[in-house]
Amino acid sequence: MWVYEKKLLYPVEVSTCNPTLAKYLMEQYGGADGELAAALRYMNQRYTVPDKVIGLLTDISTEEFSHLEMLATMIYKLTKDATPEQLEEAGLGAHFVNHGHSLFYANAAGVPFTATYIQSKGDPIADLYEDIAAEEKARATYQWLIDVSDDPAINDSLRFLRERENIHSLRFREAVELLKDERDRKKIF
Amino acid sequence: MSTSEAEWVLLKKVQQMDFVVVELTLYTDTHPNDEEARKQWRDAIKEAARVRRQYETIYGPLSLTSVPSKQAIEVGWQWNSPPWPWQR
Repeated sequence: MWVYEKKLLYPVEVSTCNPTLAKYLMEQYGGADGELAAALRYMNQRYTVPDKVIGLLTDISTEEFSHLEMLATMIYKLTKDATPEQLEEAGLGAHFVNHGHSLFYANAAGVPFTATYIQSKGDPIADLYEDIAAEEKARATYQWLIDVSDDPAINDSLRFLRERENIHSLRFREAVELLKDERDRKKIF
Repeated sequence: MSTSEAEWVLLKKVQQMDFVVVELTLYTDTHPNDEEARKQWRDAIKEAARVRRQYETIYGPLSLTSVPSKQAIEVGWQWNSPPWPWQR
């Protein structure tokens, strides 16, 4: 089970209403390499991986949900005061007529989230390599977002998230080595 | 409802200390035999709990694993009251 904490993992502040930036940030909210995909991927894989890596998948998945809340906070704050006209100018007209000011799990191009973004292979090495790739893709996305964002407050939070993806990638690489060590030991009688 | 500067400072401290626990937990997940890291992790949990108690005593629980203090109830703390994290 999970217990809700009435605080963010890391502070999210926004300089000014900016629906264009919010639209781009949706890539990490409901996109293929975004936080929802990450959280759901690891949370689902963890049931059938070796005991040695269950803790890591559980803990990283839980952290991804806190990243998802940070992204939601950014998008919410960047759009809450936008008029329908401003949303339309930002390319969020289609989003507005379907969802109003509410958030939705879609990518920056408005494509809704799908479970086909993620995989679970029942093979711990295959799964962990997917997880490493997912973290690297998320890190790259955060870099591109920082490159197009001119909001210094948002960039602070994005840099934090980019670094977290680096750490997760590193931990998953270490998890692969832990499993390889275990496998190699089993071959020695 | 506006957040006072003092509350904001203390909340940031809670976030910092909780983050140290998050980070060291992931590290110890893949370094189970690193005794120095495990010691840092235990110390971090203790420190995070201390800072959290300090915050929650004044401003009320951040999660329902803490009992609301008399002081927090007196200032009108309720679980179901703003600000929620995205409203701060």
